[in-house]
Amino acid sequence: MNGWMGKILRVNLNDQTWKEESFDEKFALKWVGGRGFAVKTLYEELKPGIDPLGPENKFIVALGPIAGIPAPNTGKAIVAGKSPMTGGYGDGNMGTRISDQLRKAGYDALIVEGRAAQPTMLYIEDGRVEFVPAGEVWGKGTYETNDWIYSKYGHGVGVLNIGQAGENLVRYAVVRSLEGRAGGRTGMGAVMGSKLLKAIVAKGTSPIPQADPETMKKTGLQDLREVRRIDKESGWSIQGTTGVLAWCNEMAALPVRNFRKTHHPDAWKVDGERLNNLRIATYGCPNCTMNCGIAIRDSHGRESELDYENIALLGPNLEIFDYPEVASLNYDCDDYGIDTMSAGGVLAFYADAIDHGVVEGDFKFGDPVKAETLLGEIAHRKGKIGQILAEGSLRAARRFGGGSEAYAMQVKGLEVAAYNCKFIPGMALAFGVSPIGAHHKESWIITFEINHTTRESYGPEKAQKVIELQRIRGGLFEYIVACRFPWVELGWDINNYTKYFKATTGLDWQLDDFWSVSDRIYSLIKLFWLREYPLTNRRDDYPPALWFDPANADTDGLIAGKVLEYEKYDDLLQHYYDIRGYDRRGIPTLATLARLGLQDEAKAAAEYGRLS
Amino acid sequence: MMKVTVKLIGPFIYRAGFSEKEFNLPGRTTAADLLRLINVDMHRPKIMTRNGRAVAPAEMLADRDRIVVSPIYSGG
Repeated sequence: MNGWMGKILRVNLNDQTWKEESFDEKFALKWVGGRGFAVKTLYEELKPGIDPLGPENKFIVALGPIAGIPAPNTGKAIVAGKSPMTGGYGDGNMGTRISDQLRKAGYDALIVEGRAAQPTMLYIEDGRVEFVPAGEVWGKGTYETNDWIYSKYGHGVGVLNIGQAGENLVRYAVVRSLEGRAGGRTGMGAVMGSKLLKAIVAKGTSPIPQADPETMKKTGLQDLREVRRIDKESGWSIQGTTGVLAWCNEMAALPVRNFRKTHHPDAWKVDGERLNNLRIATYGCPNCTMNCGIAIRDSHGRESELDYENIALLGPNLEIFDYPEVASLNYDCDDYGIDTMSAGGVLAFYADAIDHGVVEGDFKFGDPVKAETLLGEIAHRKGKIGQILAEGSLRAARRFGGGSEAYAMQVKGLEVAAYNCKFIPGMALAFGVSPIGAHHKESWIITFEINHTTRESYGPEKAQKVIELQRIRGGLFEYIVACRFPWVELGWDINNYTKYFKATTGLDWQLDDFWSVSDRIYSLIKLFWLREYPLTNRRDDYPPALWFDPANADTDGLIAGKVLEYEKYDDLLQHYYDIRGYDRRGIPTLATLARLGLQDEAKAAAEYGRLS
Repeated sequence: MMKVTVKLIGPFIYRAGFSEKEFNLPGRTTAADLLRLINVDMHRPKIMTRNGRAVAPAEMLADRDRIVVSPIYSGG
């Protein structure tokens, strides 16, 4: 079966056993890899209602048929499990050498079950698995853990690890790799931590079977050079993703002061131009053509790798406009293994809640020193506030009461990414219907809204665009497993990926074939949600209430006086459901499930929730 | 004559040599005229807004307009 190793490694931490399982072409063609493999496996093997932080949850690393093969930006892997943040399906897409090393070790996916008796690291090499005691680094941050791993095995291995946040089951703990790569903001680091699984290391030497290795090698290397050339010519990586900060500030789309404001006169201090001026190093993922990790010195002199989301949510969203201070918060998050996005969202919520008198505390917006202290308390679940904030903003809001849920900026329990959609209906929809909670990776349509429609409109074209982008961003790139940046930021033709897919698998798929897989995966994620939340309804697909509150409208600037409108948003949401073939609750209909080949999965879901 | 402020985003800054600048322009200047004037890469996909709204190339500018020219970011 060209393109796939054809094997999944299943590891049981309870009794330190492992076995190899084969999958057939039918499974490969239906689910392809990455997110497809992950959601199908979790749907089949997890009983609804299990504790995401209990031993029954499973931690999955899943790769796709082009993962690890030299071609533009193929150094990515999916980490997945039942999410401690949302209680639904959760995953993350992260840059890591696991992408090629696990494949070369012989596997397209790794499933980790049970719970170890003591802190453990898995070492996987060419079909062999070792359970390595990791007590020496339990309690240590991800940087020290990484160094320990490299000192044992050298730098030529693929590594996934967690910091103290994962160990202490912080619900938004991430999995870390390389210098500043992180993924699984849905709490995948906590899933590893709940298993006392400190790290996974892989090393392999097997070739990846490909249908046309000569063409793939020639095309892959040629395209790596070409995309690098395009990046250099366009200058994109001079500011990287942070270039968008200044634009968001201009367009009143920047998260400022817990998303209450949309722009700030000091935003320039933490924009892409300033970041580039402070640059001391640049990092990227394996096979990257446009390294987006720009490192600067933080206020403690440490090297901190930043990108837009960290900066916006730990900076303007906390009203901190000092780069070294923002970089310090980012470094701490990376070392503890906390998601920088949720950290920014949770801290901002806490400052806002104190401001509104629903909880006592001395943390204010614009206080990086206290923010840093709080990150430590969160990572270690230290003290009453550390414990509460480690649960995420929604659970914290439920503890604080006083109406604070209205400004816990989250969807389905996951904090919103760094785009303030107070008056951007289509992007608000993208957040609302993101299947893993509010994440921009699924779909991002702000430029489309401004350039091709009007900001004020709630028309079906916006819903259509969200779906079109979900099929690519949340679909294709999540299951062939690659970084979307060359396509999405540099205009690299999407058909290049069908070309790589064909060279590796031999399959001459058209784009519609890929969209079918994307739609299938999205519907299965919805069924996963239905089984966990049988009473789910369309309100679960709404963005935060703050964006609808007229009292929260900007008082000046581009969108003064404007906020989202419930009735219009609901109509936009219905457009989305209609195009997708979902019922009024946002659940795929039986007809849609049949069309997508999910009849068996539908029967399983019907035992828990109603299908129409 | 009219005064128009131009804000450039991202890599456009480096080719044009500025990130924000005020221009004195003749009365009948279009958005396309302005782009040619500021040496932005015409081949690069871009989004140009005038006071927060997308502007067509043939649209006439007006005194005290704020023009923002950005590469098309896509949310990272």
